[in-house]
Amino acid sequence: MNESVTFDGSFEGFLCVVYAVYYEKLAPLVIQIAGQEQLTLCDTPPVDIKTDDSRASRVYNAICEKIARDAGQRVYYAFLADDEGRLLAILQYIKLGFLVGGAVDSHLHEDFVARVHRLAKYVWREAHLLHGFCRFESVLLNSGNAEKPSESEVLYAPVTPKNDVLVLLAQHFCERLKHRAWVIHDKSRNKAAVYDGHTYTIVTVPAGEANIVHTSDEAQTRELWTAFFNAIAISERKNPRLQRQMLPLYFRGNMTEFR
Amino acid sequence: MELMDKLKILADAAKYDVACTSSGNDRAAKQGEVGNAVACGICHSFSADGRCISLLKILLTNKCVFDCQYCGNRRSADIPRAEFTPQEVAELTLRFYQRNYIEGLFLSSAVIRSPDYTMELLISAMRTVREEYHFNGYIHVKTIPGADPALIRQAGSLADRLSVNIELPSQASLEAFAPEKKKDDIIAPMRLVREGIIAHKNELAIYRHAKNEPSFAPAGQSTQLIVGASPESDSKIVTLAEGLYGKFKLKRVFYSAYIPVGADPRLPTTEPPLLREHRLYQADWLLRFYGYTAGELFKNEDENLSLEMDPKCHWAVQNLHLFPVEVNTADYMELLRVPGIGQVSARKIIAARRIEKITFEGLKKMRVVLKRAKYFITCCGKTYEKIPLLPEAIAPRLKDSSQIAGFTQLTI
Repeated sequence: MNESVTFDGSFEGFLCVVYAVYYEKLAPLVIQIAGQEQLTLCDTPPVDIKTDDSRASRVYNAICEKIARDAGQRVYYAFLADDEGRLLAILQYIKLGFLVGGAVDSHLHEDFVARVHRLAKYVWREAHLLHGFCRFESVLLNSGNAEKPSESEVLYAPVTPKNDVLVLLAQHFCERLKHRAWVIHDKSRNKAAVYDGHTYTIVTVPAGEANIVHTSDEAQTRELWTAFFNAIAISERKNPRLQRQMLPLYFRGNMTEFR
Repeated sequence: MELMDKLKILADAAKYDVACTSSGNDRAAKQGEVGNAVACGICHSFSADGRCISLLKILLTNKCVFDCQYCGNRRSADIPRAEFTPQEVAELTLRFYQRNYIEGLFLSSAVIRSPDYTMELLISAMRTVREEYHFNGYIHVKTIPGADPALIRQAGSLADRLSVNIELPSQASLEAFAPEKKKDDIIAPMRLVREGIIAHKNELAIYRHAKNEPSFAPAGQSTQLIVGASPESDSKIVTLAEGLYGKFKLKRVFYSAYIPVGADPRLPTTEPPLLREHRLYQADWLLRFYGYTAGELFKNEDENLSLEMDPKCHWAVQNLHLFPVEVNTADYMELLRVPGIGQVSARKIIAARRIEKITFEGLKKMRVVLKRAKYFITCCGKTYEKIPLLPEAIAPRLKDSSQIAGFTQLTI
């Protein structure tokens, strides 16, 4: 009986922890990301669970088939939340789900069920808001080849979300900006989704400010947008409280019209 | 004139139009085209008045031959005038869209020369955006009252949503303040759009190949009513809205508190009735999502909605014989009628009570808001507080003082 496990921090890794709970009879009281462990009261050293994609997808399919069709997505969204105790709550949710099936979503009196629901909604909501609030800027990308210098236009969006919603944003903009090259940069986690016109990949980005060169029409477009933004407000109805409620301040740092 | 100046004038001229939703239609991205549409709608920003900005909301021109007294763009108003070319509209739309500033285009216009001529200009602008610039995102276009049916059909095949603004909620007010507009000119395009949507649906049902035919206003139609410019009561406005939802299957009716821009001495010059507008939206929600009828909301010969409490609370206080509701046994529609319980809470209650009896503690855990609901419900026969179910005991506790304070200006 081990009380502490570690995994690599990915969703697949977490699903492998679930696998281990069932097939290796683990009953973890603490689940942590390898390399980021905190001191715990467990007396045994943590067991590190290796990530195995086929095991992960078996667990994911089982969640969707045996609990509910949308349970897999709910678990994934809750996993992305910026919340310390989410991993144990999700594990409890899955365990109860395998026991009672879809009825798990009715056990709202259980704290961990309510928590998984709340976190999944919180993540969904932030991703949804960022679908609208994130702003792309048109930048020139240098090929880096000294002999044949060429420049291409790339759309670049810096974001600083509270939850780890980068993949959810990337999926949305794969459709929205299907034929463009773009980069969404999660500055709070130092990673980015890079899309080349076909598929996106998640890469890590070194911290610090990059040297960005804008295309020639960027400055004018920003001015036009800001002018539109100001003209569309009705001064007789000015209501900063409502504005703050609908568009919280923490989004505004990356938004063209609030710079 | 510079593009910047045009944009400032024509966005300012469009700002009183309320409809800025981008919802109602799902459309996947297409090969060689820019953008898609998502049914839930996406807000891209919120302006200083707290209203959502989802679409690039502009007039094609504000040069108007009509002289509607309630409108800031009327012929007799002394304001700067401008006109966009179709290319300029397309340029702005595409440049804003790819930076994710907007979800699409909201194109309206003042009546230049004649309704038909204006409608043709709107169509040609939309064609440029769709066909030359290959824009596949959301477009909402105003139809001009009195325009030819053939033109409205063309507009419907290019836009996601069509709308025609009723503006003043009665024939008499229209005659008084908008002499060039006739009620029939407004109702006729609404009927036409409704028929166009039905015809397209029927074609889809009969011919599978109709899927490749151009769709017709797939996100439906909406309208706007100005509140407080003319003397109509809330009861009249809500009844009209109910008729529009029922008869013309409108997706939305928008309400816009009149802001004094007119010069006519018969028009009010007071502060815009924002709280009244808010109450109308609340009543509108009750019609669309809670199964209320206009008749129920105005049963006791009240002509206007209460400003002191929201219409759902007001209805509940007037109908205390239907309460308290036992949360463990009430059906979904009964739960929905409890002030403070909405669709989400009602669904949660129904799901949770399958597992075990619900207590007030349980309701709090599910995050059902008890602020108003507590007076109207019992859990396993128990009430929350010992407050008798009498109008004089409950009504004072439901008055939302904070709400009213938020709407009146503080003076020092």
